Amino acid sequence: MMVQALLLILIIPLISGVIMFFIPKKERRAQEGLLIIASLANFILAVSLFPQNFTYRLPWLDSGIELSFRLYNFSSFMLLSTAFFGFLIALYSVIFMRGRNFLNQFYGYFLLCIFFSNAVFLSDNLLVLFFFWEGLLLSLFGMIAVGNKEAFKTATKAFIIIGVTDLCMMLGIALTGHLSGTMTLSKINLPLNNPLASITFILLMIGAISKGGAMPFHSWIPDAATDAPLPFMSFVPGAMEKLLGIYFLTRISLDLFQLNAQSGLSTLLMSIGGITIILAVMMALIQKDYKRLLSYHAISQVGYMILGVGTALPAGIVGGLFHMINNALYKSGLFLTAGSVEKQAGTTDLGKLGGLGRVMPVTFGCFLITALAISGVWPFNGFFSKELVYDAAIERGMIFYLAAVVGSFFTAASFLKLGHAAFLGKLSSQNEKTKEAAGAMLIPMIVIAAACVIFGLFNQLPLKYLIQPILGDRLEGHNFSGFPVNITLVVITFVVLFLALANHLFGAKIKGSGLAALDHIRYAPALSKIYDLAEKRLFDPYHWGLGLVNIISKLSLGIDRGINWLSDGLSVRLAYGLSSGIRKAHTGNYSVYLSWSIAGMLIIFVILIIL
Amino acid sequence: MYALLVLVPFFSLLALNLPFRELNRRLAFGFAAILFLLQMGLVFIPDVYFWRVHLSFFANIFHFQLAADILSKVVLFCIGLVSLTALCVSRSLIKESEERFNFINIILLAVAGMNGVALAQDIFSLYVFLEITAVSSFILIAFEKDILGLESSFKYIVLSAVATVLMIAGIAILMFIAGSTNFSVIHSALLSQNRNLLLSLSIGLFLSALFIKAGLMPFHGWLPDAYTAAPAPVSIFLAGIVTKVAGVYCLIRIILSVIGFNDQLKGILLLVGAFSAIFGALSALTQSDFKRMLSYSSISQIGYIILGLGSGTALGVAGATLHIFNHAVFKSLLFVNSAAVESQTGSRDIDKMNGLAKQMPWTSLTSILGSLSCAGIPPLAGFWSKLVIIIALWLAGYKIYAVIAVLGSLLTLAYFLALQRKLFFAQPNDEFKNIKEAGFGLIFPAFFLAALIVGAGILSPWILSNFILGFNSLVGG
Amino acid sequence: MLLELLILILLVSAGLWTVMTRSLLRSAMGLALASAILTIVMFRMNANIAGVFELSVCAGLIPVLFISVISLTQPMTFKEASDHMKERLHRFWGLPLIVVVLGVTLALVSFKYKVTPAAIQEGKPDVRFILWHLKQFDLLGQIIILFTGVFGVAILFKERNKRG
Repeated sequence: MMVQALLLILIIPLISGVIMFFIPKKERRAQEGLLIIASLANFILAVSLFPQNFTYRLPWLDSGIELSFRLYNFSSFMLLSTAFFGFLIALYSVIFMRGRNFLNQFYGYFLLCIFFSNAVFLSDNLLVLFFFWEGLLLSLFGMIAVGNKEAFKTATKAFIIIGVTDLCMMLGIALTGHLSGTMTLSKINLPLNNPLASITFILLMIGAISKGGAMPFHSWIPDAATDAPLPFMSFVPGAMEKLLGIYFLTRISLDLFQLNAQSGLSTLLMSIGGITIILAVMMALIQKDYKRLLSYHAISQVGYMILGVGTALPAGIVGGLFHMINNALYKSGLFLTAGSVEKQAGTTDLGKLGGLGRVMPVTFGCFLITALAISGVWPFNGFFSKELVYDAAIERGMIFYLAAVVGSFFTAASFLKLGHAAFLGKLSSQNEKTKEAAGAMLIPMIVIAAACVIFGLFNQLPLKYLIQPILGDRLEGHNFSGFPVNITLVVITFVVLFLALANHLFGAKIKGSGLAALDHIRYAPALSKIYDLAEKRLFDPYHWGLGLVNIISKLSLGIDRGINWLSDGLSVRLAYGLSSGIRKAHTGNYSVYLSWSIAGMLIIFVILIIL
Repeated sequence: MYALLVLVPFFSLLALNLPFRELNRRLAFGFAAILFLLQMGLVFIPDVYFWRVHLSFFANIFHFQLAADILSKVVLFCIGLVSLTALCVSRSLIKESEERFNFINIILLAVAGMNGVALAQDIFSLYVFLEITAVSSFILIAFEKDILGLESSFKYIVLSAVATVLMIAGIAILMFIAGSTNFSVIHSALLSQNRNLLLSLSIGLFLSALFIKAGLMPFHGWLPDAYTAAPAPVSIFLAGIVTKVAGVYCLIRIILSVIGFNDQLKGILLLVGAFSAIFGALSALTQSDFKRMLSYSSISQIGYIILGLGSGTALGVAGATLHIFNHAVFKSLLFVNSAAVESQTGSRDIDKMNGLAKQMPWTSLTSILGSLSCAGIPPLAGFWSKLVIIIALWLAGYKIYAVIAVLGSLLTLAYFLALQRKLFFAQPNDEFKNIKEAGFGLIFPAFFLAALIVGAGILSPWILSNFILGFNSLVGG
Repeated sequence: MLLELLILILLVSAGLWTVMTRSLLRSAMGLALASAILTIVMFRMNANIAGVFELSVCAGLIPVLFISVISLTQPMTFKEASDHMKERLHRFWGLPLIVVVLGVTLALVSFKYKVTPAAIQEGKPDVRFILWHLKQFDLLGQIIILFTGVFGVAILFKERNKRG
C-alpha cells in the first residue's frame, strides 16, 4: 500500500502534467479540472504518506545507478508542504490565469514542477536527485516563459544562472561519490577534515543556495516578478525554491557532511546569509512596485534561513527550517495578495495604487497578517522563527546578530511603506470601481493567513511534530517550542520594530505620502550613490557575467576562430576527406574487395598466431 | 519441437508448388504471413509448451539435435519480424503476381535456412544451413535480373565462396582435433587443448569467413553493392536479418558455444568492430544514394554488435544481442522508408530530392524515429543497446573502445541529420511538387516498426533487467 | 613423398589451367581434371566413399552439364578468343607466382603443433549409419540447398528465355 502511494505521488503529477500539454487550448474547463484534481490527489497522498518511514529501491544494471526513494520524516514534511502550496496555488491560478494564453503549458509545467519537487525530496541517490533537480530547471523555464513579452529573456537569465550553479552542484556530486564511494544519500556521512571535502561541500552548497535564491544568485527573481505570471512567483520563488534549497542545504550540512559550529564553512554560510539579508532588504526598501518589492524580500528572507542553518547549532537549524516553512507561508500569501491587487486594480505600481483597504478588505486583512508575520511581530509565526535564528546567531558572533536585526528593521520599514502606499491613504480615481477578488482567490489567501497565525500561536505544533524530529540526535534534548527563552533579545526585537514604525511615521510626515516614507534613506548621503549604481544593475552578477563574456569573446576571437577551425573545419573536412577517400576506394571491382578480405585475414592470423 | 521451424517452411514451400498452382499463388501471401507471425509468437511461449513437446512418431523418424537459448530466440523473433516486413512491402512493390509468388517461395527457403542456423548445435549443420541462406540470397539479389543485380550477386557469390572454403577448412581442423562436429563435444575437447598453431589457424579461418558473411570492414566489399542493387523488399530482408544471422549470429554462437573467449580473440573482435563502426559511418557521410548510405550504416552498426561481443562479458553479449534486434527493427524501417521514397519519386538520389516532409509526412516521421534510434538517441530502443554495449566495454576495461563507440554514434547522428535535412526538410523542389504519400502497404509496416522502436525504447530498462539474467549462464566461464 | 609432390603439382596446374584458359569448354575440362586428381588424393587417404562421390559427381556429372550448356552457346571467333586470352593473361599473370610462393612458404614453415586428436572410434561405423542417424539434420539441409539451387535456376533463367 505504501509503495503504491509512494509511486502514485510521483506518477499522478507526472502523467497529469504530460496530459495537460495535450489538452487543446479551447478546453479550459478540462485543463482547470485536471489541475485541481491532480493537485488535490497529490495533497491527499502526501497526507496519507505523512508520518511514515521506508525505502523503495529499483537497482539498474548493477552500475551504481539505482532508482531509490526514501521516505522519512524530513521528506514527508517537505512533500506535505509542497502538496499544500501546490493545491492552494492551483486553486488560485485557476481564477487568476483566466483569459491568458498558453494556459495548458503553464498548468503542465506547474504539475511537472510538483512532480520534480516530490521526486527530489524522495530521492535517496544523488544522481537521481540531480536528475530531478535539473528537471525543475525545465519547469521553471517553462513557467517563466509563458509570461509577458520580456519573459523569455528573463527565463533565459534564470536558466543560465541556475544552470551554471547546477554545474557546480554536479561537480560536487561527482566529488561526493568519489569521496564516499557511494551515491546513496542515506549512506553518506563525511567529515569535513580535508580541503577536498570542503570544496565538495562548497560546490554542493552553491547549488543549494542558488536554488534558494540567495545572493549572488538572486538577480533573476526581481525580473521574474514583473515578467512571469504571478502564481509562478507565489509558488516557485515564494515557496518551492526555499523548500528545495533549504532542504538540500540542510541535508548536506546535517547528513552528507558533518558541519561543525566552529568550522570556517559554517562562518562562510552565515556570512552569505547575513549579506543576503542586508543587501536584499536595502534593495527592497526603494522598490516602487508591489511584486518587485516582494521579490527582494523573497531573497532577503532566505538569508535568515541560511544564517540559521549555517550556525550549525540546534537552535539555528530548527530556526532556519521553521523560518523556511513560515516564509513559504507568508511569502506565498503576500504574492497572492499582490496577485489579487493586480487582477482587480490592473496594476502593481505603488504610485498608482492607494486606499485599496476599503474596497478589498479581505485582501487587506490577509496582507496585514502576512506582513506582520514577515516583519516578525508577536504572536505571528515569523516572530518565533526569527527569535530562534537570533538566539543561535548571537552565540556565533555579534556581527551576525546585528545583520539579522538590522534586516528586521528594514523589513518592517518596507512593509509599512508597502501597506501604507497600497491599502491606506486616498483611493485613486482609477481604482474607484475596484472590487474584492473572487472567492476562489480569497480562500487560499485566508488559509495561508490562518496558518501564519496558527503556526505562531501554537508554535509547538510545527516545531514538535514537523521540524524537531528531523534533527534527531543533534537536537541534544532541546525543545524550542513556546515563548522564546532569551527575554533580552525579545525586548530588542520589540524596540527595533517600534523604531521602524517611528521611522515610517517620521518619513511619511516629512514627505506627505506612504510611498515616499523611506526616501530619506534612499537619498541619504552615502547610500544614494550606491543605490544609483544598483539601479544600473551594477550589483547583478549576471550583468557582469554578460559583460565579461563579451570582453572574453572579443579578446579570444583569434583562439576561438582557431578552435572553430579545428572543430568545424578540420574535423569535418577530415571526416569528409576520409569519407570520399573511402568512397573512391570502392571501385566496384570484386577482385579489389577480395584482396581487402585476404589482407584482413592475414592480419587476423598475425594477431592470433604471432601475438 | 524445434525441427518444425525448419520443416514447416520447407514443406509448405513444396506444398505450394505441387498441385493447384493458381490457387496456391493466391494463398501464398497469407500463408507465409501467418507462418512468420506464428514464429514471432512462439518465441514468447515458455519452453514447456512448445519447445519441449516431444511427438513420439516424429522423433522416431527424425533424429535432430536442436536447441534454442535466449540468443536463438531473439534471432528467431527477428527472422519472423523482418520476413514479415519484407513480405508486406513486396505486396505493393512487386507488382506481377508470378514474381511475387517466386519471391515468397525464396523467402520461405531462406527462413528455413536461417531457422536452421539459429537452432543448429553442430558446426557442420550450421555450415549447411548457412549455405541455404547464402544461395537464396544470391537468387534474391539478382531477382530483377537487371545487370546491376546480377553483377552484385556475382560479387557476393565470389566472396561467399571464399568464406565457404575458409569455413569448411576451419570445420575440418576442428573435427580433426575433437573427432566430432557437435558444439559441446568440440567445446570440451578444446578446453583440454593448449593454445597451438592448428587451433589458432582454425579460429582465424572461422573469423575471416564469418566477417565476410557479416560484411565487416575490410571484408565488406560485396555488401553495399548487394544492398543497393537488390530490389527494395530484398534489401530489407538482407540488411534486416540475413547478414545478421549468417554473420553475426554465427559468430556469437561459435564463440560462445565452441571456441570461448581469449585475449587475442577479443582483441581482433574489438579492432574489427571499432574499425567497422567508425569507417562504416565515415563512408556513409558522403553517400548520395539513400540505400547505399543505409548499407554503410549497416556496416557501422554491425561494428557495434561486434564491439559488444568483443567485450567478452555477459553484459556485452546481451547488449550485442539487443542491438541485433534493434538493428533489425530500425534498419528494416529505414529501408522501408527508402522504398517508399523510391516508389514515389523514382529516385534514390538524396541530393536531388528536397523537402519531402510535407508531401510524405508519415514516411518522414517514421524515418526520423528510425534514424534517431540508429544514432542512439534516448529514449528510443537503439539508445539502450548502445548504452549497454558502451557500459560493457567500459566495465571490461576497454575504455578507448568505449570512447570510439561514442564517437561513432556522433558520426551516425551526423550523416542521418544530413540525410533528413536534405531529403525531408530542405526547401521543396519544384520537380517533386506532385509527390504523394506512399500507399498503405508501405506506410503500415513503417508505422508498425516505428511503434516497436518507441515501445521497446520505453520498455527497455525492464527488458534489460529481465534479459541480462539469461546471459550470465550463456557466457559462463 | 615424391608421388604426393607429383599429385600436388598436377592438381595445381589443372586448377591454374581451369582459371586461365581462354575457352569455356577447356575450362570445364580443366575442372573435371582437377576433380579427378583430387579423387586420387581421397583414395590415398582411405576415404573411399567420398572419392567415389567426387569422381562421379564433381568429375563426371557437373562437367558434363557444363559442357552441354556451353555447347549451346555461340563460340567465340578466333580474334575474340585471342583478345580474351590476352586480357586474361594480363589479369592473372600474378596467380601462378602467388601459388608457387605460397606453396614454398607453406612447405618451409614447419607445422609444429602439439595436438592430440580425439581418439577415433575403433570399428568405423557405416557411412549410411552416420548419414541417417548422426547427420540427419545436415542431410535435410543439403536437400534444401539442392532444391534452392534448382529453384533459383528456374526463376532466374526461365523467363530470360521467354524474353530472349
